[in-house]
Amino acid sequence: MWHCKPHNALRFCQTHFATPTARAMNCRSEVLEVTVEARQVEEAMLALLHTILLHRSTGKFHYKKEGTYSIGTVGTQDIDCDFIDFAFVRVSSEELDRVIRKAVAEFKDALSVSGSDGMGQISLEFYQKKKSRWPFADECIPWEVWSIKVNVVNLANEQERQICREKVGEKLGEKVINVVEVINRHEYLPKMPTQSEVDNVFDTSLKDVQPYLYKITYQITDSLGTSVSTTVRRLIKDTLAL
Amino acid sequence: MRFIAKECVTQLCDSPGEENLLMHVPEGVKSQWHHIENLDLFFQRVYKLHQKNGFTCMLLGELFELIQLLFVVGFTLFLANCVDYDILFANKFVNHTNSSKVTLPDAFIPVDVCTARIRDNAFVMFVLLISGVFWLHRMVKFFYNVCCYWEIRSFYRNALKMSMSELPYATWQEVQARIVEIQKEHQICIHKKELSELDVYHRILRFKNYMVAMVNKSLLPVKFPLPVLGEYVFYTRGLKYNFELIFFWGPGSLFENEWSLKPEYKRGVNRHDLANKLASRILWIGIANLFLCPVILVWQILYAFFSYAEVIKREPGSLGARCWSLYGRCYLRHFNELDHELMSRLSKGYKAASKYMNCFLSPLLTVLAKNVAFFAGSMLAVLIAFTIYDEDVLAVEHVLSSITLLGVCITICRSFIPDEHMVFCPEQLLRVILAHIHYMPDHWQGNAHRSETRNQFSQLFQYKAVLILEELLSPVVTPIILIFCLRRKSLEIIDFFRNFTVEVVGVGDTCSFAQMDIRQHGHPAWMSEGKTEASIYQQAEDGKTELSLMHFAITNPHWQPPQETTHFLSQLKERVHREVAAGDTHHYSLSESEPRSLIANLLTGPSTLGSVHFARDASLANHAAAGLNDSASALRSLSPVSGSLSAVHKGHASSVSKAMAGSGTDARTVSSGSSAWEGQLTSLVLSEYASTEMSLHALYIHEFHKQQSRGELPRHTWHRQDSDESSESIPDEVRSEPPPRSRTLPRSYTFPTAAPSPSEIPKSASDTSTNTTGQEGTKSAADRRPDILGGGSKFVRTARVPMGGWADNNAAAPRYPEPLPEESSDDDLPPHIHKVT
Repeated sequence: MWHCKPHNALRFCQTHFATPTARAMNCRSEVLEVTVEARQVEEAMLALLHTILLHRSTGKFHYKKEGTYSIGTVGTQDIDCDFIDFAFVRVSSEELDRVIRKAVAEFKDALSVSGSDGMGQISLEFYQKKKSRWPFADECIPWEVWSIKVNVVNLANEQERQICREKVGEKLGEKVINVVEVINRHEYLPKMPTQSEVDNVFDTSLKDVQPYLYKITYQITDSLGTSVSTTVRRLIKDTLAL
Repeated sequence: MRFIAKECVTQLCDSPGEENLLMHVPEGVKSQWHHIENLDLFFQRVYKLHQKNGFTCMLLGELFELIQLLFVVGFTLFLANCVDYDILFANKFVNHTNSSKVTLPDAFIPVDVCTARIRDNAFVMFVLLISGVFWLHRMVKFFYNVCCYWEIRSFYRNALKMSMSELPYATWQEVQARIVEIQKEHQICIHKKELSELDVYHRILRFKNYMVAMVNKSLLPVKFPLPVLGEYVFYTRGLKYNFELIFFWGPGSLFENEWSLKPEYKRGVNRHDLANKLASRILWIGIANLFLCPVILVWQILYAFFSYAEVIKREPGSLGARCWSLYGRCYLRHFNELDHELMSRLSKGYKAASKYMNCFLSPLLTVLAKNVAFFAGSMLAVLIAFTIYDEDVLAVEHVLSSITLLGVCITICRSFIPDEHMVFCPEQLLRVILAHIHYMPDHWQGNAHRSETRNQFSQLFQYKAVLILEELLSPVVTPIILIFCLRRKSLEIIDFFRNFTVEVVGVGDTCSFAQMDIRQHGHPAWMSEGKTEASIYQQAEDGKTELSLMHFAITNPHWQPPQETTHFLSQLKERVHREVAAGDTHHYSLSESEPRSLIANLLTGPSTLGSVHFARDASLANHAAAGLNDSASALRSLSPVSGSLSAVHKGHASSVSKAMAGSGTDARTVSSGSSAWEGQLTSLVLSEYASTEMSLHALYIHEFHKQQSRGELPRHTWHRQDSDESSESIPDEVRSEPPPRSRTLPRSYTFPTAAPSPSEIPKSASDTSTNTTGQEGTKSAADRRPDILGGGSKFVRTARVPMGGWADNNAAAPRYPEPLPEESSDDDLPPHIHKVT
């Protein structure tokens, strides 16, 4: 599959900043695609997820009287990858790292177990909670979804692995630049909340850092069909709607 | 390298002293209206609440509907089972000791007997069960709605700053303007800084636009050739519901959710598989329909009860004998036209339409009706005379009922006897109708007096009795249509959705026709010649794109269309303006006269009577202008505002219409800066002008189209009416045959230009950053050829189908140049992403 034509095999590494098939309507959505070797999956995912989260986290808010607040500090940390020629910056928060690692590890396991020719997708979804009145549950409304599509390749020999190591490093570097470009656009972000609402916007469970509320989900096969439950839910909703 | 939200970009110092810390003030979430999850539903509800005149009205209306249903079911049940009719009709005597009078309670059957009777009757129980489910469904819906609309209500109050009491008097355009305004502040939609009117319309009408487009392209099987009745249109609510279920929201439908088509349907690779899948799904839904037939029937009756109550409430004309059929509403609807806009337009045309239909009373029936009425009338007169002489006559058995029956009989007969003072002028009536309904097939013009035209018009404007009958038949007929007609079209449907879906940023997948892009979907015979690049497959029939565009621009004067569209609009407006002005001078110079609009004559008075004007051989400009003048004056009678305008401009008719068109144009083209107009007129008045202006434009476009298509057949154009009829009826047949194609200018003309060469596509696409599936469209039309056409040798064209797009299309397909080299190269790519901003 690799055939010593790395540029060809990595063709899918181009980033498609496009409006993808919308999962949620009123939500920005970015798609990144990477082609990596099986052992690089974990590091590549960590690199990308941490890069995004770095830009979507703030220091802890300390609310004062008169409705003002100050922002705590956030440390950053350089991480070197073992299987890729690449280093990335992440928020130096062990707790956050643990959460991400756990999600990525699950994804990696699921990927290796499934026989679906090494295709998978991990999504990082930033959402906002909206309090609803009594009969309805609180809504989680996503405002930005990052989907990272992973394509795992098998390499025949060490030499190819070496090339792959470099190529993936390069590509990840490009991705990071892309992520920063997207984040630098002045687009919709939830407004800075007051003290009572801070839980609706930020994840305040961590001690040292405060990322926007996020959710990591993954999907192994490319099946994008709607599940039965969503269909049923929609049927009910549609019949109820005027 | 940290890039955080601008609120916290300020760098912090780590010093322990608190006073050194930078303090931030949270903005807080001032409103809960930012970033709404399901904007489609949200806008639909906002619209609905506006249409229902506010929260309280809606709530009460629905509550009473619930009570009504209970009452109707309960009362019917009571009448059927718990009344002893023998006692009521005095066939059986009750023994009362003190009086001989029969009281109402005497006729009631005791409760226990009654309930036992009901319980034993399986049919009644079945009906009761279904009604119970229906009622529960409506009740749950009611409570759900109360919760949802409470939120919309607070949106109106807090965000839009409109109280519920002023809502009935605010136009939708005002509400919409406020929504657009608050988007800047609240960011309802996060994709864009600003929301355009078109976005709102797209969201509310997403699926309706698809349906309109499908009817426009004759994709839906709603017309059937029947042995005796001829071509028959059958389109009922049940059928519509099934269509929507299959395409839009049912389990396994083409749409993934409310705003996006499933990705596999956007690719052309395995369209045959998808078509098979769709076909089998249609089959299953058809079978399910067949089995549920009795349930649906009862449901339908209950539903009809409510929906017609609703129709009568909303539609002033609906108390008449006729109404606009469901098919008519779909056929006449513009792209991006909201319900109330359509209804007001159709209601305005109602009077003229029923007048037109009444022109065609059968003379035979008239003779019969006159005589029946005579005999019935004499008997009635005698009976009434007797009654007046001695009212004991009434006590004789059946005298009162015969008086009633005879009265009804006479009323019915009278409806078959034409008004003595009515003048037969179908052509003029049809023109007035056209001014309101905006669409009609080409061959109607000049053939208004023919019964075929009348029959076809009755497809749009049917008897209400027929409508109800159709609805009742629908549960039986629907599965048959689904299984035998719709299933065959599954491939075309798949192709349609693939080719005519564009993804608009911030809106999702919409029907590309609804973009109203002249370049993509314009029809060269409808004024967009030279501007359109659409192939015949892509052209909207009947000038739908052009008229919809015009309509939308007029109803939403603040909307800023894309560059080319603006150009088209301003050009058209200028033309209408000029022609109206020019028509004034040309009146006198023309040779042959046509029967002038009688209505116009009556209205404009002697000032224009002298102007014997326009003829067949007149130039296009003259003719169009003259026609326009005619109808403009006709319209003045219909629109109160322009009526008052005419009072101001008392004088020459054309000067009035000129002023009308002119001022209207001004008001709209200077959209933002027309302060003089907006200052003086409320938006209600403005919308009144808008409808008049739209009528003018619609008539102009039709006139233009007529002239152009007439130009195709030079041998007939010089003749008078008689031969003209034949010429008018011919083109449709002629067009379906390949050889004369070269003569039929507007359609054939597009062939070489329509299919864009591969090199051109990317360039033009990048021009406006609009990228449609145009390439795929032409290609698929070409490669579909074998499937449908069976080698391209035969094309069956049902004669004189007003909008037979498909048959035409297939004939055209062989001529297509292949626009794209290979299918595979394109289809492997992910679905096209369309950025339409």
